[in-house]
Amino acid sequence: MSRRTVAWWFLLPSALVLGAVVAWPFVYNFWISLTDLGLYTIRDGAHFIGIQQYLRVFAEPDLYRYLLRTLVWTLLNVFFHVLIGVSIALILNRPLRGRSLYRALLILPWALPQYIAALSWRGMFNYEFGSINLLLAKLHFSPIPWLSTEVGAFAAALITNIWLGFPFMMVVALGGLQSIPREMYEAAEIDGAGAWWQLRKITLPLLRPVMMPAIVLGTIWTFNNLNVMWLVTNQGEPGDSSHILVTYVYKAAFNYYRYGYAAAFSVLIFLILLGLTWINYRQASRSTYGA
Amino acid sequence: MRGHFLRFHRWIGWPLVLGLISCAPTSDDPHRLSIWEQMEPAEQRLLHEHLQQFETEHPGVQVDVVHFETENLRNNYQTAALARTGPDLVYGPSDHVGPFSIMGLIEPLENVFSADSLALFLEDAKPSLEGHVLRLADQVGNHLTLVLNRKYVDHVPVDTEDFLEIARSNTVDENGDGKTDRYGIVFNLTEPFWLVPWLGGYGGWVMDENSKPTLDTPAMREALSFVRRLVDEGVIPPSCDYPLADTLFKQGSAAMTINGPWSWESYREQGIDIELALLPRIAGRDSWPQPMTSSKGYSLNRWIPPARHPLAVELLAFLTSARVVGRISEELGTLPSRSDVSQWPRLQANPTLHSSWAQLVKGRLMPVVPEMRVLWDVMRPGLQHVISGRLSPEEAARSMQQSALRKIEELRK
Repeated sequence: MSRRTVAWWFLLPSALVLGAVVAWPFVYNFWISLTDLGLYTIRDGAHFIGIQQYLRVFAEPDLYRYLLRTLVWTLLNVFFHVLIGVSIALILNRPLRGRSLYRALLILPWALPQYIAALSWRGMFNYEFGSINLLLAKLHFSPIPWLSTEVGAFAAALITNIWLGFPFMMVVALGGLQSIPREMYEAAEIDGAGAWWQLRKITLPLLRPVMMPAIVLGTIWTFNNLNVMWLVTNQGEPGDSSHILVTYVYKAAFNYYRYGYAAAFSVLIFLILLGLTWINYRQASRSTYGA
Repeated sequence: MRGHFLRFHRWIGWPLVLGLISCAPTSDDPHRLSIWEQMEPAEQRLLHEHLQQFETEHPGVQVDVVHFETENLRNNYQTAALARTGPDLVYGPSDHVGPFSIMGLIEPLENVFSADSLALFLEDAKPSLEGHVLRLADQVGNHLTLVLNRKYVDHVPVDTEDFLEIARSNTVDENGDGKTDRYGIVFNLTEPFWLVPWLGGYGGWVMDENSKPTLDTPAMREALSFVRRLVDEGVIPPSCDYPLADTLFKQGSAAMTINGPWSWESYREQGIDIELALLPRIAGRDSWPQPMTSSKGYSLNRWIPPARHPLAVELLAFLTSARVVGRISEELGTLPSRSDVSQWPRLQANPTLHSSWAQLVKGRLMPVVPEMRVLWDVMRPGLQHVISGRLSPEEAARSMQQSALRKIEELRK
């Protein structure tokens, strides 16, 4: 057996696993999207119907509303994840008493199961008895109907997801900050550069290569984050008005058994994410390598 | 390097893989049965005791139980059974069995039980679709009743006006801080399951005999108006969902609640002195609210290997036998699914079962057709919009009907 053959044998298990858990489901999903698979056809086998499911998806009156809401949801979440994560990392990267304790505490939201965190936040957003409105009342503000209005439910899910997501960016940013050579700051100080200048000209440019993959990952995770929106808004309440694309697709597939339609919708979501990731990577390589 | 790899591959690698495969249970082991369920903890405890008994009576047989939350059970069973695997028995509520039957995932039970055996079960306990019996229940009911906290309420409301009067007199600000400390009534305002009894009381129902939705009716408008009136009068918190209602009642911060058999024991455990009562008659009419009734029980997987099929049928017969159903009823206070058990004197003397039975006979069986899922989904936003004041009952009823027709059409595409 040649060395090359041995190498292929070592690669084979990973290739098989990737083929089984990534490639095959993707191809199968695409196939389903071209069929009429649903509650009444699943028993006797689905029929090939071409691109009809895709036409149904584009004819869906709420598609563009859900798409816009998903984009706003993703943008705001990733923006606040990075802003809060990097800000806290900058603070924790300085000499600080009790730094390890703060780090451990700030990672807690990330360590909690999303399911439990989302349901706890839902309880805290209750109009009469939730701790958030009780706190607002103590501060002499009017209570906010978080879960009974479209904007309120969206804001509630957003706050929950920001709380859950910033520790990841914080950890990544902390790792990046610790890899920046100390000498660069010392040289800048000798040249009379202030803290703001150092942040803009040393810290942020050197953090960018570390943060960009995290931002791409964060974008994909947030865009496809079913749990938080589904649980905080209790399946899109009030009145199916707080769906993002993935919650809508989940409901179509698993509540209404519209498998063909949901598969076509999933392909559309995949293409949107592929586009967003491609744009992100192009931007990242341009800003990193000046290409 | 190459030599090491080959030695590993020949003497350790493959035997290891083969050993692991041979240790895994085979899916057609004729002595190993499995059940997937979504039971409450008390039900689970009894199930395990009964299974121990079954295993003792059948040496060499093992029954594995896997617990799921209700929706996960539906999704996972569907996925497994579509792949022709999954458990031998699946235990859950009635509304799962319609879709399971249409998708061909469960075996019609008239194929495996005699007509005489099936005749021992109450109608509610053997939901059927297109003439096929889809499930055998170990308990029936699952219906809502009025639950009174006897510390605050000294009589059963005669009708809805009396009910409102009791609720008003029990909605109090005890410490004078301008906030309500005790509510007259609490129940889940976000789920249409709690709206349906009033819909039935005003003479309506969710669908006709052809499974066509009947939501835009005067009865629906009156039912929505009644629930809205409770909110307007301030006798119920406007954001009252299930956890809140449950917590307030258990804390003694509510005089009445509306809830099902799964909750009664937990109220007693919290030290609340409860009395079960009929949902009050609609004032000015001779009609009673009609809570939806259903059952919980076992269906048989359509894809059980032939070698294990007789044992799976035997297990199903055991878990729905008179001794098991009777014990569940005695221990959990649920209504028995069998007519022979319902005649047991000690069950007939039980006041909880008596009250529950009185409410059950005023209820109406939940349809098991898949369209029911759509109706829940369209009634939910309508109800919530009426509670929040965004839609009038007229607008909500119209919107429910339109959405229902559209979604049922989509369901069939």
